[in-house]
Amino acid sequence: MSEPTEVLEPDLAPQQPPGPPAKRSVTARATLAGAAVSLLLIVAIVLGSRLLRDFDSALLPYAVATVFLAFGVAYRYTVWVSAPGARRLFRRGIGSLFSAANFRKAPTALPRMAATYLGLQKFLGARSHARWAAHQLIFWGCLLAAAITFPLTWGWFTFTSSTGSGPGYEMRIWGYKVLGFDSLDLAGWLMFHGLDIAAVLVIPGASYFLWRRMKDRGAITGQRFAYDLLPLICLIVISVTGLLLTFSSIFLHGGGYEFLAILHMVSVVLTLIYLPFGKFFHIVQRPAAVGMQLFKYTARQDEQVFACKRCGEPVDTGPYVENLRGTMRDLKLGFDSFVEYCPRCKRVLRGNAYLTQVKKGFR
Amino acid sequence: MMGRTIFIDPGRCIGCQACVSACRECDSHRGKSMIHLDYTDTGRSVASLPTVCMHCEDPVAPCAEVCPADAILVTADGVVQQADTSRCIGCANCVNACPFGVPKIDLQAKLQMKCNLCYDRTAYGLAPMCATVCPTGALFYGTLEELQAERPGVQVADSFAFGDVVVSTGVAMVVPADKVRWPVPGGLPVVEVNGVDVR
Repeated sequence: MSEPTEVLEPDLAPQQPPGPPAKRSVTARATLAGAAVSLLLIVAIVLGSRLLRDFDSALLPYAVATVFLAFGVAYRYTVWVSAPGARRLFRRGIGSLFSAANFRKAPTALPRMAATYLGLQKFLGARSHARWAAHQLIFWGCLLAAAITFPLTWGWFTFTSSTGSGPGYEMRIWGYKVLGFDSLDLAGWLMFHGLDIAAVLVIPGASYFLWRRMKDRGAITGQRFAYDLLPLICLIVISVTGLLLTFSSIFLHGGGYEFLAILHMVSVVLTLIYLPFGKFFHIVQRPAAVGMQLFKYTARQDEQVFACKRCGEPVDTGPYVENLRGTMRDLKLGFDSFVEYCPRCKRVLRGNAYLTQVKKGFR
Repeated sequence: MMGRTIFIDPGRCIGCQACVSACRECDSHRGKSMIHLDYTDTGRSVASLPTVCMHCEDPVAPCAEVCPADAILVTADGVVQQADTSRCIGCANCVNACPFGVPKIDLQAKLQMKCNLCYDRTAYGLAPMCATVCPTGALFYGTLEELQAERPGVQVADSFAFGDVVVSTGVAMVVPADKVRWPVPGGLPVVEVNGVDVR
């Protein structure tokens, strides 16, 4: 193989790749953010559980795992938004989210995008209806489980009965009575079996994805065990052990309950700690994309479309093109002016350059 | 430069679109072709140019560098993979930053897709679909030694100039022997717009 870079003229010498001058400061900032968020959560747990009076010590491992989770998410998030590409788009996204002018122009845009993009995840339907359905099951199941588990482990929710063993219960949040219910009626049953319902939603969804990872050759291509398979296995183990706890208490009179409880706890704790560093990070990463969508949407509303300088076809919105060029300059990618041309024109320009300057016989 | 890679010789391309059809059969993006076949001077020339992902090595994958979601993975063997489906947010940064005009985007699915050198095949030593079916050898998959054994004296270049910037790639292009010492011009600075010389 020839090595043309060795005989380049000085002005054609390769650009030095961007160095890592800010790496230490990013790490320090991320550590600080992680520590601050963890500390805030600890304070919130102490205050929310009325100085630990409502805190259930049996759930301590879960609460500790959520503190680690808070540290990991804040750390990883800070590192992520410090990279040039993410930083610029994140700032523009946040700017669009909190822009009063945008709100006046399109007041329904943000809630509509949040509902269709984050809630209904319509974009997944465009990829595959089966994947959309399976992901919806996992999404709503996990959301339900998190909404129940997190406040319970933090001592924010309590269920108390004046008669000791029910069936009348009071649900309290931060010590304040929110509602009273009978555990034997439908509302009470749903309330006490919320986590079972979540598990029933998650198991088929995660199983479908696991089956797909075994059978679909597109999904198998380049898949990694820790990144692609482990999260699904974690979800299934958590859900199955959770259901087995209910099975044990109803049908086995508590047989094997302690072992199952430990198994369930270990699987939940390990998953929570793993969450910021693997595939699950998309859960906290994805909402930022709504800002990006809004950033593009509002520019399109203002008809700020950037057209290819050669063929006139739209490339993207003007502010977006400027933002991308800024990112490329940050990264010392010195060909940012090429962004002003659409992908096809870039290829044609390169083809013409090859035709006229490299191999004339090509014609 | 990877050991085994694609060598593109536009001089041999007859624009038959066999590569485009075969690319659709790739398991990692079934039904969608990721290779581009462009007719560079329509109406005046039959010249055509097949474009696969060049798998940029220096700077490493500009598409991955500009990605705000860390969705594009470069595997240890230098293959720039298509976007991770769980991370890609469909922002099109990669589409517009790529100097070769390679990545495609599905705006409805909010997903980038691109040539991944048929990783489901090349990971097991098989040639990519496009190179397998190309009837003229415009797309050749193998080592440089294998190419030169088949085509004695052939020279290739794996660096491209975009203005002042030189991009080294994992995929190479066939060039005449007297041009091998310089990077292949990438089309920047632009010298013509709509047939008008803008130099």
